[in-house]
Amino acid sequence: MTKNEMGLEEALDSLEQIVEVLEEGKMTLEESLDQYEKGMKLVKLCNARLEGAQRRIECLTGELPPDLA
Amino acid sequence: MTQIFTVTDLNLRIADRLENDPRLHDLWARGEVSNYLHHRSGHRYFTLKDQGSQISCVLFKNNGQSLGFEMKDGKNVLVFGDVSVYRPQGRVQLVARAVKPDEGLGFRHLELEALKKKLEGEGLFALERKRALPLYPERIGIVTSPQGAALRDVLRTIGSYPARIILSPAQVQGDGAEESIAAALCALRSKADVIIVCRGGGSTEDLWCFNSEVVARAIFSCDVPVISAVGHETDVTIADYVADSRAATPTAAAKMAVPDVEEIKERMRITRVRMMRALWTGLERKEERLEYLKHTFSAKRMHSLARDLRQRLDYLCEGLNFAQANKLQILKSRLELAEGRLAAVGPQATLQRGYAIARSRQGLILRARDARPGEEIELILGQGKLLCRVLECRDEREALL
Repeated sequence: MTKNEMGLEEALDSLEQIVEVLEEGKMTLEESLDQYEKGMKLVKLCNARLEGAQRRIECLTGELPPDLA
Repeated sequence: MTQIFTVTDLNLRIADRLENDPRLHDLWARGEVSNYLHHRSGHRYFTLKDQGSQISCVLFKNNGQSLGFEMKDGKNVLVFGDVSVYRPQGRVQLVARAVKPDEGLGFRHLELEALKKKLEGEGLFALERKRALPLYPERIGIVTSPQGAALRDVLRTIGSYPARIILSPAQVQGDGAEESIAAALCALRSKADVIIVCRGGGSTEDLWCFNSEVVARAIFSCDVPVISAVGHETDVTIADYVADSRAATPTAAAKMAVPDVEEIKERMRITRVRMMRALWTGLERKEERLEYLKHTFSAKRMHSLARDLRQRLDYLCEGLNFAQANKLQILKSRLELAEGRLAAVGPQATLQRGYAIARSRQGLILRARDARPGEEIELILGQGKLLCRVLECRDEREALL
């Protein structure tokens, strides 16, 4: 799975981890900036998923009723 | 002798026999209502049946006025009354004096209880096998009627949550509904992360397909967690027992299936704040350290450090001076002591007693021949000295008078 295909759950999990590591405060400044940047990217990714997502409805058999298609 | 009855007499005799049997009076009978007819006369006619048999019933107007529930086909009831024979038709019937709804204890319900017991025994309802719902499903399978309001309720509730929705259409009531639901569940195998099987409210009859064994087994063998939502809050079907989660309504099922988008957004906002704060805290901590170090090495501090050192030096000096002075004092005392001792062994005391030391330029004059006539010599006395000129040098013998 590439970064762009990362699922919402995975992204949120990674984000939580980054926050925890950051809050521990044991990293060098460079490292923590690095993690922060990574975290913000994940935030963006999650937001994009939530905002831009088009709901896709499929039907396994037959046609979708016109009001749902 | 063989007696020959008229039909009327025969039925009369049967009636006599039955209606006079105390065991057929004031009795309760349990069964399901069918062929229900509320006649314009106000009397109610119906058939009470169970799996194996049936009996005609009548509830006369005066007895049916305070019924307290709606009689209809399929309703399970308890009937109180007396057996009688309707003579014109030779029909044995139950004349009801009271009818009460029989909640869940009709023959179909007995069947249902038996099925429940069987499935429970097989472990289909076991709590240990209930799977947790995924927090963030990416594919949501829905088994329901494409035309139903339940589907629309579910879709509306899922709202903007980003997931693929896979509808697996099923017939949710009537003949063949059970097989249709089971097939629709099977069709979602490996296509969804969570499955909602639902239908809107309806009569017990309408929902009955969700009490079937085939649906129960289909739910049980789904490869992902299943949420069931059949009818309203009060309707609990076997499907609900087997499902991993039971929702009271389709809307509630959808709420269970997906997280609240607003909640996630809030969580993201909090996460962002936490990250910022952690970063700032980290920075602040480093800044503080820098500040501390800066302070440690400040000119002022250096100055004060130098002052301290100078003070220490002064102090040391003072100590040193004191030690030095002390040492001088000791030396002085030692000198005085030595002087005293020297005086004791020196000539001074002797000179005080009247002796004198004679000294020429060559040194002490111990013998007469150490000096020559006319030479200037020195006589050191107890106090002061005399400069003298030698008149004559006499040797030892002459000197001794």
